[in-house]
Amino acid sequence: MARLAITGASSFIGARLLRRLVEARGAEAVLVLDVAPPPSALHGVHYHQVDLTLPEADRRLLEILRDEEVDTVVHTAFFTDPRRDAAYSHELESIGTLNLMAACASAGVAHVVQRSFTAVYGARGQNPNFLTEEHTPRPNERFWWIKDKLEAEVHALAFARRYPRMAVTVLRLAPLIGPGVYTFYTRIFAKRVVSVVMGYDPLLQFLHPDDAVAGFDAVLARRAQGIFNVVPRRAMTLLTALHLAEKVTVPVPHPLASALADALWSAGLSDAPGGFLDYVRFLFVADGAKARRELGFEARYDSREALMQYLRYRYPQRYPPATRPEEATA
Amino acid sequence: MSGPLSRSGRAPSPRRGSRAARPHDREVARLERELQRVRDELRQARSAPPRHDGLLVSLARVVQSGFRGLSWESLARLQAALYFAWHAEDVDEFGHDPVFADTIAPFFEFLYSTWWRVEADGIQNLPDQGPALVVANHSGVLPYDGAMIKLAIRHQHPARRECRMLMLDMFALLPFLAPALTKHGEIRANPDNAERVLASGGLVGVFPEGIKGVGKRFKDRYRLARFGRGGFVRIALRTGAPIIPCAVVGAEEIHPIIARADWIGRPLGFPYFPLTPTFPWLGPLGFVPLPSKWSIEFADPIPTEGYGEEAADDPILVNRISEETRRTIQKIIDGRLARRRSVWFG
Repeated sequence: MARLAITGASSFIGARLLRRLVEARGAEAVLVLDVAPPPSALHGVHYHQVDLTLPEADRRLLEILRDEEVDTVVHTAFFTDPRRDAAYSHELESIGTLNLMAACASAGVAHVVQRSFTAVYGARGQNPNFLTEEHTPRPNERFWWIKDKLEAEVHALAFARRYPRMAVTVLRLAPLIGPGVYTFYTRIFAKRVVSVVMGYDPLLQFLHPDDAVAGFDAVLARRAQGIFNVVPRRAMTLLTALHLAEKVTVPVPHPLASALADALWSAGLSDAPGGFLDYVRFLFVADGAKARRELGFEARYDSREALMQYLRYRYPQRYPPATRPEEATA
Repeated sequence: MSGPLSRSGRAPSPRRGSRAARPHDREVARLERELQRVRDELRQARSAPPRHDGLLVSLARVVQSGFRGLSWESLARLQAALYFAWHAEDVDEFGHDPVFADTIAPFFEFLYSTWWRVEADGIQNLPDQGPALVVANHSGVLPYDGAMIKLAIRHQHPARRECRMLMLDMFALLPFLAPALTKHGEIRANPDNAERVLASGGLVGVFPEGIKGVGKRFKDRYRLARFGRGGFVRIALRTGAPIIPCAVVGAEEIHPIIARADWIGRPLGFPYFPLTPTFPWLGPLGFVPLPSKWSIEFADPIPTEGYGEEAADDPILVNRISEETRRTIQKIIDGRLARRRSVWFG
């Protein structure tokens, strides 16, 4: 029986995707490769404990993929937040992807879908307002956290070139915000006081988790190859988002803000290093036209609806729930 | 006369049981109507976007509470009210904010009609619909000329078209100016952006001289700098949009650069640092532009259709059209300068 294997099933998007896949294909058809077992509620899902960072991980993966007759692999074992342990995130994301790709290529897996981030394009003042998949990704120098994500992409695409029989898809997802999401973005929206870079108000994209899952669905259904941006319908500005969330904003001039953020990060008091500040100064808005054209994927929510849904979920008293998603925009 | 009596008098059925039931029924009906009203209200409240108190209301609340009620929540609400008094909750795909643009519009209107008394000619050369690329000379340290071309087209063109100006990377990086220009409707000077607007049939304005134009010294005024590497011609050839040369006279005198101290500007992120008769010696007064008399002239369109698909990759053709555009603008400027008797009165 041709199975689908999923890595990183205990990450937020991995867990959502796992539930969706079990619903759509049945538990028997899904295999979980992770360091932690899947929730016990999902009866019948095959599970193998695999640590992608171990030196022999590729051999172990190859055995599992062969034994379980896996034909599709969904790779979501990535950190959504910047980690202080840079060495470990490099091992997992860059080297782990290398191990996984090597095993997939040897096992004759037909399709690998890898999760990635629109942040790999890099936030720059010179960016076009809509970054297409052809745009060369140039992550910001000081935001090293994103470089491992780009390396993982490069490894995956190199394997795609070397093994033409294996279809490789990279999905660049915009930052996730929505009910249930817990990332460094949502932690910013859970604070009372937020410092912002003085004099900048870039456009941002927030992707609703349902749309992210729908993006994976569309790719798996069409077995499409290549890179796709999975983005919400519209962007919104940073300050609009913060003021809709009723945050007190404290503007800090950017040379000072960068030093301050680095100091707070080193002291373990903030969620993102100083390099992240470029991502709230300049835009990295990706264009969803290719996914629309080739996958027929169109996001259901725009950035503002995703944010409002998150705020309703986080602060039910202050933001009474709308009964239907379209009412949120009425 | 008492209520119950009159009501029972009009009643069609005199039976006891129903008489007792009727006030009850009426009460039920009244409560049901009330319930329906509350339900409607609730549905409306749920579907409405979160309400922000107006700026004055929020301020009044804080003052009324004698600053005793000042909390993080009230501060956040005050900040939100301040922000949404100036900004729309939704912006377009390039970040144009209609509320912000309307808020600062009177300032530009004043500059247009009173301060610089702009006169626009040749507006009929702009098409009523469909794409076109307005190519103009750049000057004046700050990109006021873009705002004035935009206003000239909005005021004088019969179709009241909106022209989206391409802004230099330099302005897209500067704090305060970058978000303000974006919200006013300017877009980053980038072929992808320009082609996107032209492909949807819009008007795009571009200053091919770039930084060399705005940072020109006063002694070099009205001598057009090199027109980049002809990127604007390639955009026009790819989209088939006609090029409309546009000459702006008057903007060179608003902030005459007598010398440049680029070594001050570089560490601050400016590619140049102008020294004008008023800046930086007079402090904030140095930002007041001088009231010269402006004229804007749009010349005959240069067609870019019919060159075929490969035309944009033909450097000789690109350079020829670029030079033709530059010469046209330079000729109009020279003619206007020869006829101009006064910098201040035209």
